[in-house]
Amino acid sequence: MDDMNARIERMLEQVQKAPRYTGGEMNAVHKDWDSVRLHYGFCFPDTYEIGMSHLGLKILYGLVNEEADSLCERFFMPWTDMMALMEEEDIPLFSIESRRPMRDFDMIGFTLQYEMSYTNILMMLKLGRVHLLSAERERDEPIVVAGGPCAFNPEPLADFIDAFMIGDGEEVTLEVTRTIADWKASGEPRIECLRHLARIGGVYVPALYDVTYHEDGTVAAVTPNDPAAPERVLRCIVTDLDSAYYPLTMPVPYTEVVFDRIMLEIMRGCTRGCRFCQAGMLYRPVRERSLPRLLEIAQKLEDATGYEEMSLSSLSSGDYSCLPDLIRALLKQFKGRHVSVSLPSLRLDSVLKESLEETQQERKTSLTFAPEAGTQRLRDVINKGVTEGDLMEKVRDAFSGGWSGVKLYFMIGLPTETDADLDGIVDLAQKVSRAYFEVPKGQRAKGLRITVSASSFVPKPVTPFQWEPQDTQEELKRKQRYLRDRLKNVKGVVFNYHTPELSFLEACVSRADRRFGKVLMRAHELGCMLDGWSDIFSFEKWLQAFADCGLDPLWYACRRRGEDEVMPWEHIDSGITRSFLRREYEKSLREETTRDCRKGCNACGLNRLKGVCAIADALRV
Amino acid sequence: MRMLCVFEKSERVRHIGHLDIMRTVGRALRRTGLPLSYSKGFSPHVLLTFASALSVGAVGRRELMDVTLDEDVTPEAFLAALNAALPPEMQASEARPLPEKHPALMAMVQGAEYELRLMDAEAADAFRAALPGFLAQAEIITPRKTKSGVKDCDIRPLIHRLSMEGDALVATLALTERESCKPDMLLTALSAFAGIDVPRALVIRRRLLGLSEDGTLVPLETL
Repeated sequence: MDDMNARIERMLEQVQKAPRYTGGEMNAVHKDWDSVRLHYGFCFPDTYEIGMSHLGLKILYGLVNEEADSLCERFFMPWTDMMALMEEEDIPLFSIESRRPMRDFDMIGFTLQYEMSYTNILMMLKLGRVHLLSAERERDEPIVVAGGPCAFNPEPLADFIDAFMIGDGEEVTLEVTRTIADWKASGEPRIECLRHLARIGGVYVPALYDVTYHEDGTVAAVTPNDPAAPERVLRCIVTDLDSAYYPLTMPVPYTEVVFDRIMLEIMRGCTRGCRFCQAGMLYRPVRERSLPRLLEIAQKLEDATGYEEMSLSSLSSGDYSCLPDLIRALLKQFKGRHVSVSLPSLRLDSVLKESLEETQQERKTSLTFAPEAGTQRLRDVINKGVTEGDLMEKVRDAFSGGWSGVKLYFMIGLPTETDADLDGIVDLAQKVSRAYFEVPKGQRAKGLRITVSASSFVPKPVTPFQWEPQDTQEELKRKQRYLRDRLKNVKGVVFNYHTPELSFLEACVSRADRRFGKVLMRAHELGCMLDGWSDIFSFEKWLQAFADCGLDPLWYACRRRGEDEVMPWEHIDSGITRSFLRREYEKSLREETTRDCRKGCNACGLNRLKGVCAIADALRV
Repeated sequence: MRMLCVFEKSERVRHIGHLDIMRTVGRALRRTGLPLSYSKGFSPHVLLTFASALSVGAVGRRELMDVTLDEDVTPEAFLAALNAALPPEMQASEARPLPEKHPALMAMVQGAEYELRLMDAEAADAFRAALPGFLAQAEIITPRKTKSGVKDCDIRPLIHRLSMEGDALVATLALTERESCKPDMLLTALSAFAGIDVPRALVIRRRLLGLSEDGTLVPLETL
């Protein structure tokens, strides 16, 4: 250990951004290694700055560390300079807290927030000297688990992950840690651990399932090969957020991270039913934290961290049922303590002028709107229940209220999109620009800046668009050029877009089947990692990996799925039924909208389960 | 009231830069619940100044900060609250109230005592042998990195004391807003004189020094 520490110290003198690896932050938990029976290495498959911005990490870190017989330490993806030094000094990937190698942990857990982090998972396992393939791991190696939104299609990672936790992690995580601790003490072979895990509700153990394929390459069936494995794995749902675990303290990084503030999760789930939005489906039903509980959490977190800034976090904070009350209460509670409260992901049809004015009290934050599509027709297709009238009203309020910067988020490549919809984006930007100049000169803030961002649409599993092909890269590039050429004539507009290569790969991975594991392994061997970083990402290597494995990326990304095609993830029960998704898909093609489920149950599938969704339950009585 | 406080930047956090240290102490102060004073203006911040920035990679045993409070607090209460709020790697050891008219700490710093812990015993031996001759020089011309490039400068008058303690070089060096000798400049000059490569050294700033009434360098916090 001492020798390893000395070598780590030598490495830290040479790397850029050593604070990524040094740990010792305020509120970091350092438990005596030998005082607990379960050692959990929580892995965020990206750099420290990104991982430490993630609320889920803080929840699970606190949850496991509050257990007397368990400890949780953090692992992040090292940067390339650190990786080179680790190889030179022969140092395996070590935890932030105790600097123990990954191999020493009983359990390693990856959070799957975005598909393009998968190569980092393989790299971290390799650096940690843990066998990449689940089938090759020995008894004394850690049990490798994963969870998070991407776990709803676990198949691309099925070769590498021993067990997936599907859905909300607050309860199942502790069932899994206890099961692994018991197994560790039992002396049983590794397969028995996997069987114990498979018996836990919400846990999927891919090794206990066989996949068969049709001749055309589509999945025929995914069937259990072991009595411990259920036919379908129903996701975990925490029904009451007030009683669910929430950390009242969290590590405060020394160095600046992406979201360096208190994150207050005010609710989970969204009732809007936007058809492109995977999170909107996966996190159903909507569950709110009560105002008193939120005020308590906010106070404790402020006391424990000293952060100057707090953000309300949820998929659609504007929909929180007593948002103005909450903001008013927070501002009152922290008056004189100089805490600014910011509202991310504001939905433009629920922003209250009043609460906007209140947030200004501390600091003027930028305003973001996400109309997603440029025409009402296309917004109806994607069920984005927002009208141009709503948007313009809010924009005018913002400009006359002293804002001069507005961000507008759009997607291109949405199903049924034509150039007329792109013209709609330009038209909307023009109207926003005009609205600014309609405010008399002395009364408006200087420096109009309309940021128009167009991201490339990626069809995701467990959404009504899961059957849809993605636009080809050529088509997406043409659409980007089309918009760029037209938006440059609009006063005050900055147009943001990215090359569609990453979105294309994301489309491949997100709906991939188990055979994709070979491509991922090959990509890893070819050196793919840190794919989210444009200076490191190599599209060519990925294409080579597909070619080497005899799989066609276009078949995964740009193919329309048949109505009856078995999806590779269909043995995972997200709670949302296939028939609901199909119904929504067909409605979208007819340009029909579906109401917000707060206005009435739309029978998404959760209505099958009692005591899960309040809206569905009210209907049942 | 103003409170002078002595704190440590320990080995584990030595790679944290000065701006990050300032932010960390600012947040720690906010956690204390002490009656902090804030700057006026658009984005108010805690009134907190440091005597001297410590470079990335260096340990500081007795670093100094000056905190302004809206109400009077005893040094004992201040220390207890601050230490409960600071990470274990950055604990405070002393606090005392400063008169309102006390000059800014930054303007009082005249020097610092460093321990340069050598990782290589051979280099330590070479330094030990070279030290008398090194100090006997009338001038010691050494390159100094500045914003505009590298310039030669004479560090001999900036070295107040220099000796070996075991395998560590202990040096009292000038540190003022006008001129200072950084530990790496001393290492470079001494290595060149001893005819060896610049060795790896852990830089520990033991204390900051100011000028007493009789013209001697004394720990700044005693002034």
